[in-house]
Formats: sequence, C-alpha cells, structure tokens
Amino acid sequence: MRHLIDASRALFTTMRQVLRTPVTVQFPTEIRKRPERYRTSFALLHDEHGEELCIGCLQCERICPSTVITVTQGPKAESKVTGKKRGWASDFVLDTTACISCELCVQVCPTDALIMTQVADIPAYSREELVLTMDKLYAHEKDKPASWGTGTRLMGMQEAPKEEKKPKPAKPVAAAAPAAAEAAPAAALAAAEPTSAPVVVAPVAAAEPASAPVVAAALAAPPVAETSAVAPAAPAPATKEESK
Amino acid sequence: MTSMQTPTHTLKWPNPHLDMAAFEAEGELMLLHLGPQHPSTHGVFRIDLYLDGEVIVKAVPFAGYLHRGVEKLMERLTYVQQTPIVDKHDYVAPMTSEQALNVAFEKLLGVEVPRRARWLRSLFAELQRIASHLLALGTLSIDLGGALGGGSTLFIHCFRERELIMDLFEEVTGARFHYNTHTIGGNRHDVTPEWAAHVRSAMKTILARLPEYDSMSIDNSIFIERTRGVGVLDGRLALELGVTGPNLRACGVDHDLRRDAPFHAYDEVPVNVIVEQGGDSLARVLVRVREVRESIRLVEVLLEGLPEGPICSYRPIKLVGQVKIASGQAYAAIETPRGELGTFVIAGGGEGNASPYRLKFRPPSLHSLSALPYLLPGATLSDAVTILGSLDPIMGEVDR
Repeated sequence: MRHLIDASRALFTTMRQVLRTPVTVQFPTEIRKRPERYRTSFALLHDEHGEELCIGCLQCERICPSTVITVTQGPKAESKVTGKKRGWASDFVLDTTACISCELCVQVCPTDALIMTQVADIPAYSREELVLTMDKLYAHEKDKPASWGTGTRLMGMQEAPKEEKKPKPAKPVAAAAPAAAEAAPAAALAAAEPTSAPVVVAPVAAAEPASAPVVAAALAAPPVAETSAVAPAAPAPATKEESK
Repeated sequence: MTSMQTPTHTLKWPNPHLDMAAFEAEGELMLLHLGPQHPSTHGVFRIDLYLDGEVIVKAVPFAGYLHRGVEKLMERLTYVQQTPIVDKHDYVAPMTSEQALNVAFEKLLGVEVPRRARWLRSLFAELQRIASHLLALGTLSIDLGGALGGGSTLFIHCFRERELIMDLFEEVTGARFHYNTHTIGGNRHDVTPEWAAHVRSAMKTILARLPEYDSMSIDNSIFIERTRGVGVLDGRLALELGVTGPNLRACGVDHDLRRDAPFHAYDEVPVNVIVEQGGDSLARVLVRVREVRESIRLVEVLLEGLPEGPICSYRPIKLVGQVKIASGQAYAAIETPRGELGTFVIAGGGEGNASPYRLKFRPPSLHSLSALPYLLPGATLSDAVTILGSLDPIMGEVDR
C-alpha cells in the first residue's frame, strides 16, 4: 500500500510537468540565444584598412596544448597602410578536429588577429572539411558573429586596474613584466626574462597531505562509524523479501 | 545473505572475497563481466563478477580502459598549457579539477591569490558541486531501473536543472564544459552583476524543485528499499582505503577539507559539513541531496559578500614558457564533489624548467572504487549496479 501511495506521488510529480513550458530547443530550426562570450570556431581578422592583422609571430602555434595550429611565416614586407616593415603569415591552418577550445591562442595573440566565433562549423562528411585553412578563417570573419574575447580584452580583464594605466594595452607583453615584478617574488622575475639564468626557487611546501592529521583524528574515534555501519545492514534483506 | 556482509575487521583487513574454493568444488560459479560498456558503469570500467546464482561471491574491478597518459603528457606541456587538459579528468566537475591544479602551482610559486578570485573560485566550486550531485542522483536513479520511484523521469529532471548551472558557467567563461577559466594566480574571466542576478534566479528554481526530487528518491519507499542496507561501507575501512568526500561522510566520518584544511574562501565562509550514519547506498544519496541544499546556501552567501578587486595577481598567460620553476615540490588538495582531489607537483622538468618534472593526481573516484571488492561480495547482481552508482565514480579521473 505504501508503495502504491509513493508511486502515485511520483507519478503526480511527473504529470505536473505537463503544465510547465518545455525546456527543449528544437536545434536546427530554433537556435538558443548564446551568451556573448560563447566560443566555438575561429576567425582571422582584417584591420579597418583591410589589411591582415596576423603578423605570423607563431605565439598561438607555440601555446596550443593540442598543437593544432600551423602557421607558415612569410617574408617581411612593407605594410600598405603604415609603410613600416612587418611580418606576415603566408599560411595559417587550424585543425578543429583536435581543438579543445581553450581560448589560449586568442589570449596570446598580440594583434587581436585570431578570435573565436559564436557559431560552430557545420558538421562535415570528411575530416578535411573540418580543417580551417587560411581562406576559411578569413571567410569566418564575415559570415560568423564574433565572440567577445580578444587578446586585449582577456588580458585587460585579468590585469589589475592600476597596472593598466602605465603602458597602452597595445603592448601587453611589455605591460606584463612590471606587473609581475610587483605581484610575485623572484620566481616571476626569472620567468619574465627567459635569457637570465634560472633562479632556484626554494621548496615552498614539502609534500604534506593536508588531510593527514584529520584522518588520524577520525581514526582515533571509531565507535560512531562502527555502530552505524553495522546497524542498518541486518533488517534490509528481510524487508526486501517481504515486499516481493 | 546476511552472513556475507562486510566482515568485522581489526587493524589488518583480510581478503575481502568470499572463499572461492567451496564454490569451485561444486562447479557452480559463473563469471560475468559487468562492463566495460555497460551503461551503469558510468564510463568504461569492468568488474569481473563471480556469481553463485544471483549472489556475488567475488568481484575484481579492472580500471584502465580510459587511460590517456595525461600524467606523462604533463611532463611535456608547460605550466600554462595544463589547465585546459585537466578539464577532461573529472568531466562532470571540470571547475574543481582546474582549481586543484592551479592551487598546487600557486603553492609552488608562492603566489597569493586575490581575494575576489578566491571567492569566485569558491562560488564556482559550489555551483559545480550542485551540478555534479544532481547528475549523480539522476544517473543513480536510472541505474535503479527506471521504475515509478525515480527512474528516467528523475534522470531527465536532474539534467534539466544541471543545464541551468551550465548556462551560468557558459555566460562567464564562454564554454559549456571545458572552461579553462582558472590560471596561476587567479581567474581568467570576471563575472558581472547581471550574472549574479542569473545565479540567484537559477538557485531559486533549483531550490523550488528539490522537493520534487525527494518525492521520487529519498522520500519514496521504492527507492529506499532498493538502497537501504545495500553496500554498507565501514567507516574505518573507508578511511583505510582513502575514500573521501560524500562516500566517507555517509559512513559517519566527519571529514571535509573545506572546513578541516580551508582553501579558496572557505576560511571566511564556514561550511556546515553534512554527515550521515549508515554507510549504505541510501546514506550516500542522502549526503549528496543534503549537500545540494547546503551548497545553494553557500552560493547565496558567496554572492552576497563577493569582494571587488583584481581577479589575477600573477602575470596573465602570454608566453608558452613564461612560468619557470627550477626546483621544489608541492601538494595541494581541494574538496571536489567526489572528495579530496590532490595534485602533487615536482618542479624542474621540460625545456628550461618550464614543465613539471612529475605531476601526480590523487583522484577521489579511484579510492571510492577501491571499496568495491569489499562492498560487492554478498550483494545480488541487481545491487551491484546500485552500489556502483551510489559511489559516483568518474572514470575520466580514475584512469587519467
């Protein structure tokens, strides 16, 4: 009898869902509103004069944990807009089949050339279609809405406001060095200048499991655990057979 | 069956398996492989069950089907590249996996995390705990067989509420699952006041729907009969096996790293540790259900007192080899939804000391699973699924 009451109570809860609005979004026809920071695919950007922003510095290729980015550096050439010599990427390939969408390549980009987009790639029939070549990446600039994150924005969010004042955010690498010198001790300085000799950091903490003393304390008082573990074990099988 | 309960132990725990020789002489044992692709194993995991009729005589778990060699991979990747990789360990609670790694690196470097970042980390951890416990309850209910008490209805309902929390994380980090939002010295993404309002409304929705779950699970006599007295774990055995988290607290052991060894902002925000006596599957479910309510309370407190200020005290990631540590070692542990997740790091590896020499994870799920040979013998085959589901293991962090 008790089972019947509980079962109908559960059934009542289930039936009550009929009155609620459905939460399912019929994906191909309806598209859920995505937050502005949503990130899936990639795009390469041009600046306002129509010049490629990517300078082929290889930072994204080096930071990528799954090594899916391959950048081929082109020869240095003069910019049509400023007339200064700058680097170019002659080829840029991003293999989205192995990409883990960690956003690190976007964060390290010094010119905000590489961004992520809010709309994913269309499912493809072959793996080759999911490899974003340079042409596809520049096409995504126009046909896919951009995500919020760019290198400058992500760096600006993480840096303390007082440190943002000193240099312009256009040179985040230079801005980072004094910030680290203030914030962190000698270890940060060693990291800031890769050319300097490695500074030996004293062992901060030996391997000491944080929970060791607590476990020992709990071991010292076992009666609670002992009685509790044995008590409910006995009646259970009996009730089970009765119910059947 | 009652005689086959976990035997009383002294300091040395005897072989958990029942005497096989008596059964083998009669030739009536059946070897059954539960898994590796059984839906109730929550991943790829195999248990060799030696069955006498319906009763399990011996259980031998086999892990390793999901081994990706991550600890070796970490010796090649630099410190700044590792956070997105550990997202894949505990793939039900990726936030806490990231936090454990970065807390260890911060300890090694001696970096002080800003107060706002510590509060944000606690906030993320509590939201993740709610999502993870909801998933645990949902998957356990579908393991129990989709009967009227719970079953697939509860499973879908738990996923619906978990979706609310995933939407919240998506709004902050831009990703639904593999967030990569923690970095050495703080967080990568800041939250907005609008987000706080969204969190409050989501918490309100979940809190209002929890009684519905109770009516299908812990208040339901069908559910209670399937779980009470099934898989009783002795508190002292649990401590000896290294079981932590809700599985340990269900054995009556009052142990929670959030209170006992505070990390993040838990030294400022006191936590009410949930302890249940009993040690059976029902107690493990009860701990999780009550912890969801406690986490909702903590989220309110953390949102209320969220301090202003910077979110990262160390240099943001700009170069692949920007963090170089010549020597030293550190162990840091945090309380994830599954227990104590520890990270042990020895510095001084890779090119120019930019990678750790060795990185070792102490996953809570592995230690929970080590209780299986003690829990399964004596139970029936249908209870094996209940026991495994109530331990809430995640194979991603068991095998790494």
